[in-house]
Amino acid sequence: CSFLSSEMRFHIITAAFLWAAFVESRKIRGISSSYKRFYRERKSFLCIDGSKIIPFEQVNDDYCDCADGSDEPGTSACPRGRFYCTNLGFRPHYIPSSRVNDGICDCCDASDEYNSHARCQNTCWNLGQKERAYVEGQMKTLDEGLRLKQQLIEEGVLLWREKQAQLRELQRAAEDLQIKLEEHRKRKHEADRLKEQTLKALKAGDRGKAPSIFRTHFKTFAHFAELFQFTQLGRQANKLTILHLTHLKIARLCLCAASRSPLKIPPYIWRALFGNTRGAQSQQRRIVNLSDLLFCLAAEWEAADLKKVEEAYETVNMEISDLQKKLEIDYGTDWEYLFLNGQCYKLKVYEYMYTLCPFNTVSQKSTAGTEVSLGLWGMWAGPAKNRYSQMVYENGEPCWQGGSRTTSVTLTCGTETGLRSVKEPSKCQYIMDFETPVACQPVLKQRGVHSEL
Amino acid sequence: MCCWFFLRRMGPVLLLWVAVCLSGSWAVDKGNFKTCDQSAFCKRQRAMKPGESPYRALLETMELTNTRLTLQLINDNNKVRLLLELYRLQGNITRVKINELKPLKPRYEVPDVLIREPPTEPLSLLSQDENGVVLSLGAESQRVIVSARPFRLDIVEGRDVLMSLNSRGLLGFEHLRMRKDTQADPEAENKEGTDPANPAETAKEEEEKVEDGMWEETFKTHTDSKPSGPSAVSLDFSLPGVEHVYGIPEHGDSLKLKTTDSGDPYRLYNLDVFQYELYNPMALYGSVPVMLSHNARRTMGIFWLNAAETWVDISSNTAGKTVFGKMLDYVQGSSETPQTDVRWISESGIIDVFLMLGPTPRDVFSQYASLTGTQAFPPLASLGYHQCRWNYNDQEDVRSVDAGFDEHDIPYDFIWLDIEHTDGKRYFTWDPHKFASPKEMLQGLQDKKRKMVAIVDPHIKVDTNYKIHNEIRSRGFYVKNKDGGDYEGWCWPGSAGYPDFTRPDMRAWWASQFAYDQYEGTMENLYTWNDMNEPSVFNGPEVTMHKDAMHESWEHRDVHNLYGLYVHRATAEGLIERSGGVERPFVLTRAFFAGSQRYGAVWTGDNAAEWDHLKISIPMCLSLGLVGISFCGADVGGFFKSPSTELLVRWYQTGAYQPFFRAHAHLDTPRREPWLFGPENTALIREVIRQRYTFLPYWYQLFYLAYQTGEPVMRPLWVEYPQDPATFALDDEFLLGRDLLVHPVTEEGARGVTAYLPGKHEVWFDIHTFQKHNGGQNLYIPVTMSSIPVFQRGGSIIPRKLRVRRSSTCMEHDPYTLYVALDNRRTAEGELYIDDGHTFNYEKKELMHRKFSFANGVLSSVDLEPNAQFTTKSWVERIIILGASKPSMVTLKTADGENQLEFDFDASMSVLTIRKPGMNAGADWTVTLQ
Repeated sequence: CSFLSSEMRFHIITAAFLWAAFVESRKIRGISSSYKRFYRERKSFLCIDGSKIIPFEQVNDDYCDCADGSDEPGTSACPRGRFYCTNLGFRPHYIPSSRVNDGICDCCDASDEYNSHARCQNTCWNLGQKERAYVEGQMKTLDEGLRLKQQLIEEGVLLWREKQAQLRELQRAAEDLQIKLEEHRKRKHEADRLKEQTLKALKAGDRGKAPSIFRTHFKTFAHFAELFQFTQLGRQANKLTILHLTHLKIARLCLCAASRSPLKIPPYIWRALFGNTRGAQSQQRRIVNLSDLLFCLAAEWEAADLKKVEEAYETVNMEISDLQKKLEIDYGTDWEYLFLNGQCYKLKVYEYMYTLCPFNTVSQKSTAGTEVSLGLWGMWAGPAKNRYSQMVYENGEPCWQGGSRTTSVTLTCGTETGLRSVKEPSKCQYIMDFETPVACQPVLKQRGVHSEL
Repeated sequence: MCCWFFLRRMGPVLLLWVAVCLSGSWAVDKGNFKTCDQSAFCKRQRAMKPGESPYRALLETMELTNTRLTLQLINDNNKVRLLLELYRLQGNITRVKINELKPLKPRYEVPDVLIREPPTEPLSLLSQDENGVVLSLGAESQRVIVSARPFRLDIVEGRDVLMSLNSRGLLGFEHLRMRKDTQADPEAENKEGTDPANPAETAKEEEEKVEDGMWEETFKTHTDSKPSGPSAVSLDFSLPGVEHVYGIPEHGDSLKLKTTDSGDPYRLYNLDVFQYELYNPMALYGSVPVMLSHNARRTMGIFWLNAAETWVDISSNTAGKTVFGKMLDYVQGSSETPQTDVRWISESGIIDVFLMLGPTPRDVFSQYASLTGTQAFPPLASLGYHQCRWNYNDQEDVRSVDAGFDEHDIPYDFIWLDIEHTDGKRYFTWDPHKFASPKEMLQGLQDKKRKMVAIVDPHIKVDTNYKIHNEIRSRGFYVKNKDGGDYEGWCWPGSAGYPDFTRPDMRAWWASQFAYDQYEGTMENLYTWNDMNEPSVFNGPEVTMHKDAMHESWEHRDVHNLYGLYVHRATAEGLIERSGGVERPFVLTRAFFAGSQRYGAVWTGDNAAEWDHLKISIPMCLSLGLVGISFCGADVGGFFKSPSTELLVRWYQTGAYQPFFRAHAHLDTPRREPWLFGPENTALIREVIRQRYTFLPYWYQLFYLAYQTGEPVMRPLWVEYPQDPATFALDDEFLLGRDLLVHPVTEEGARGVTAYLPGKHEVWFDIHTFQKHNGGQNLYIPVTMSSIPVFQRGGSIIPRKLRVRRSSTCMEHDPYTLYVALDNRRTAEGELYIDDGHTFNYEKKELMHRKFSFANGVLSSVDLEPNAQFTTKSWVERIIILGASKPSMVTLKTADGENQLEFDFDASMSVLTIRKPGMNAGADWTVTLQ
């Protein structure tokens, strides 16, 4: 950039070109240098579309001869014509011919108003400076943004891996739980069966049989007790110890445990166990009674326990599917948008507070306090070449006249991440500007002002 | 915009209403509005059947002065006397006034509608006997025959009866009376004007007459206390030889009025109708009580000057329905003659009717214009394109829409702000956040030579922190309720007062509020829109004001249909005053009455994005044009609902050829700025808006003509081809002035339209292809999405500006292209009108009005207003002659000398294009083809 290194030199060059442009415009006004070759002064002029040949004097004579407007680049005569603003010091551009001499300054070099009341100043230099400052600022933002983006990409990759690991862990946990679940189902089934048997036996009045059932299923019974112990008393008790306890002791233990739980122990049972004043015979009978009770209780404990395992299994599965859903979302080629998931950004516009939780929800809260959903995550909706420049949130709260609220979020490059503006151009259709470094694209760098000539 | 929509913002208090509102489907809830049967006076009057009229003319009371005839009428049933006044007005108008001879208290006579007391012409007595009198109506052997028993009036010309009044005996005049709720004063009735000779019979008659709804009437939850009791007036008119009647807007119905025998009469009562339905006689936002009758020989008009609720019955003839009296024996009457019978019924006031006797359509326009004035001459920019929406949300929104037009190279002149721009629906204020710096915004538009319209409605928020409210309240300017307190109703701001615009002091104060130092944040390029001025009262009977509300000494019942006109007038006067009387105002109104044309533009209210609504925009604006209101348009795209892209494009194509060209949309609809429907549709819309701008010189000239003569800008074909019955019922095509015929495409998926090209000896040129077609035929025109069938009449010259720019103001100094369309005799004529486009200086003759004529191969431009003074920078850049043959040489002659012009001849289309003649548009010149 020569103008930065030597401002003086730049001025000289500018002046030279302004002069050159002046000389040129006296001949053919309103064309760019690349079109000069069509306007070489000859006797006649061939319309650029080749449709007609006219005398050269009729070029820029304020009458439209060529269908393509090419004979009047410097006047407003042709309906489809265009006028080239050279705009030295700023960006050159075309304006429609209809803006030539309409009393409104369009070209910053004032070249479009050469025959009107408008007193246009040449503002190109100022505009150029502003633009350059702006572009510089943009560049800085972009550089900084890209740097931050790189970080976020790296973080994104880590986060992605972390999430993947989390997923795997959850899946493992789920597998474990599934195994456990099957075990519990089996046990519950068994407990149910024993309960049935016991109840049947009791019903039949065949007390004698009960002890043998008890003995036969000692292991199971012990296991109930164990389970009971674990779930109700805590984990300090030793499994093995419990296994070697006598029936009576187990029964006592169980009842001790039961007494701490909301289960009500009938007083006669309590006396049977702890009164302990009668002979061994009666003691034996009481134990049998107790075992009846325990069979019944065990079935319930087992059911409650199974439910817990099932719930745990469900929870883990839900977590898995949530995480999978989360991970299914397209977070950009480098997972750079991943970090936004789980965040929420707020902005107050007039009387409303808007909240954008990327990849999740958009909502609006009025000062009166009612919250309205403006949409749930839908998809990326940018144009093909930049898919990630726009998000759409759909199926928000229904609108009064049918349809539901939707929000379109445009992502722009910035050094910080945040919601910058919210608009509702039509009822129930919201537009948000969301700034974030990850939206920064290296291509932005191309744009510029012609600072050299 | 409609009233009901406020509901969802008003909270649960009104949930019941919401339920009522939502229970219906997408159409108007007819139950909210009265039928004739539900309107007590209409029911009473309509119950009268044709027959012998009880009214008798007391010829001995006749007084004839130079300017009027007066005569008493007596109702033989109740002996109440009426006073008939008959005037011959300048310009072939007969005025008939009937009032009570001695009313208990004065009856309302509509003020402020006539532009002056109409000048009279002498009436002379031709003959008189005990059966009646015959008076001469000046020249043309026109006479009025007053028959005594029963009373009737016939206007005859030669041997033809033009019009008969009370020929069916339906004159009804409910005299004012004391209330007889109690037996306290049974004689009260007899005290006024009754014949004491037969008191028993009178009393009996009166007793019979006491019916429900005379002294009180309830509709839905609203009770109308009728302090004055019954006061209706009605009169029948017979139109022998007439099969076509038009006018009495505003109705969503065909141009040709229908007979009403099998249903309700057409109703005139300004109402805010939510989602109005089409093809029925229900009342809408405005009322003009003017009907035109037409047959191949004569056009006439009836102007019923009454501002109360009015119903109009129309029936078509049956043979022998009318029995002519002895006085008419010599009249050639044939029972075969078609006849239309009309009957007007109003709730209060007097009978004051102007019979405009034509005979040509132009005569009727000028007759009506002589009574109520002509179309206000609008600023040129207001003929451009208007971009509106409820709402442009904030200044940034306005800026970006404005930029959108530039980006897509679409011209527009006005961007509009609906109610949301205000600070809480307090008119004359700006939302402090969304429109924090209105002047900055207006300056931004001004920099592009564009303008803005902001809404100012007549309902005023009741809020002691609101200056406008406090002032109106403290000055006592609000309409009062029947108990004398300030009338309050619900409207957009919630509880609102309604300023009494019938008061001149109120109107003057209102006007003063538009001063730049009063209405903060405004500048010259801000104009005004009056909506809801029926007035709309959300919780009032039929969504309007209670009839027993008081405007000083008059009931709202008497003035209802005038309210909107007064709001419009006070606003327009405010805009004039703020510029010191220099600048023309632009004010759009939804409610209107006879005379509203003097104050600006009207639109057809809250239509819908439906094909039928597009179609109806044509007859609705044609009907308004016939009764003086030329500056008419419908919301392009439709207000409610969302148009399909095809409908939107077709609507732009139609609207671009209607006088007031504004796109508008409801708050709940998606955005529809012209560039939101893909590049193809953007191009179609851009193209048609650009076409509109190329024709602005012609539009402007037509409006100048309307301002001068009262001729409608947009007119039915029969106005120009009055003898061609094929044109009488056409309302899917129309003329702009005499020279452009437009048949918009208003059918979904249309592949072609059939346009009737009138005039057996005319030729018509397609303005796009220059193809020539003969008149007097139905022409099938294949169409694509870009087609807008428009034809220029052979014999006309239309000046256009082809350099379409960002706004009309940007085109001010641009050159003209003259489109000379030759007729079969190879002649053509046209005009060009130019002035500064925005001030009243044209009244001081700062204008240029030129006439172009082409004959014998010579096109010339001469000054129509040699005394006027105006210079223009505009010149003539091109002359296109359609239907020409190839000349060998084209010569321009001006004051500066002669020179030859280049030209191009397209033999296949017979189009001669003369290149760059270059003379100033204000110069005298000739162009000779050799």
